[in-house]
Amino acid sequence: MRMDTDDNNENQGEEENQQNASALVEKIQQLGQANVPQAPDSNIHVLSIIGQVEGHLQLPPQNKTTKYEHLLPQLIAVEQNPKIEGLIILLNTVGGDVEAGLALAEMIASMSKPTTSIVLGGGHSIGAPIAVATDYSFIVPTATMTIHPVRLTGLVIGVPQTFEYLDKMQERVIQFIVDHSHVESEQLKELMFAKGNLTRDIGTNVVGKEAVDYGLIDEVGGVKEAIQKLNHMIQSAKTEEGGTAS
Amino acid sequence: MILYTPLSHQEIFPEAQGAENEIQAVEWQGRTVFVSKNKDGYYQINQLISSNPNDYLNPDFLPGRIIS
Repeated sequence: MRMDTDDNNENQGEEENQQNASALVEKIQQLGQANVPQAPDSNIHVLSIIGQVEGHLQLPPQNKTTKYEHLLPQLIAVEQNPKIEGLIILLNTVGGDVEAGLALAEMIASMSKPTTSIVLGGGHSIGAPIAVATDYSFIVPTATMTIHPVRLTGLVIGVPQTFEYLDKMQERVIQFIVDHSHVESEQLKELMFAKGNLTRDIGTNVVGKEAVDYGLIDEVGGVKEAIQKLNHMIQSAKTEEGGTAS
Repeated sequence: MILYTPLSHQEIFPEAQGAENEIQAVEWQGRTVFVSKNKDGYYQINQLISSNPNDYLNPDFLPGRIIS
């Protein structure tokens, strides 16, 4: 009798093992990777802004894009969800649509929850206002930010109004960066219109610590610093709330 | 539309556009994912759109997963 049950158990065990193995093989076929560990719910959410910031126009498929219509509702969800206490923005972008970028930057800047950003690799052009939109911004030592004038693509009508329009567009970007970082307007314009720094172009490539020296970014640092700062801000927001309640 | 980027116009809008694998955004288990159709006609996850870092650890959303 006892032998029987043992036998059954063994068979069941074997079947389970086989099932597990086949599931694992399937996973490895799909990704070349086995299971990843599960973690408890996180109170910090992450938004990664990668490739081109895509706005009014759908870009051709070889472009890697971040679509702003996907990010805007997520920002609202993060703001609304009481379980989420902070947000980290990861940036590795080559820029993109001015209006989509400014929309994202304004949304991030107007959030009540603590936010930090990390510029990794590159935060070029319209990536700059998004990077400075957070409460506190970080840049890794190797990351670069290209500050350059806005250009017109597509049909350009050769009238003075075109330049005025472009100047206005540029002013929006400059104004936002100046308002949300420690860089002076004059300094930023100087960087933007510098000659000889970029090949075949006007502007400046600021790397890591330089961005901090100019006051564009708050601090050089990576994930550890950003999480620490965010946790610190979450804590102080909590104590402030406790203080006003009592 | 104004693109503010150091990339050239040609890099963003190449003249010759091959028949690329069409990528579309779909809802999958309450999250938005980008999928492309593979050779067998099944949809395969390319990218997950979520702000929750734990979703990226969920094997259901791993890039390469075939969904039906």
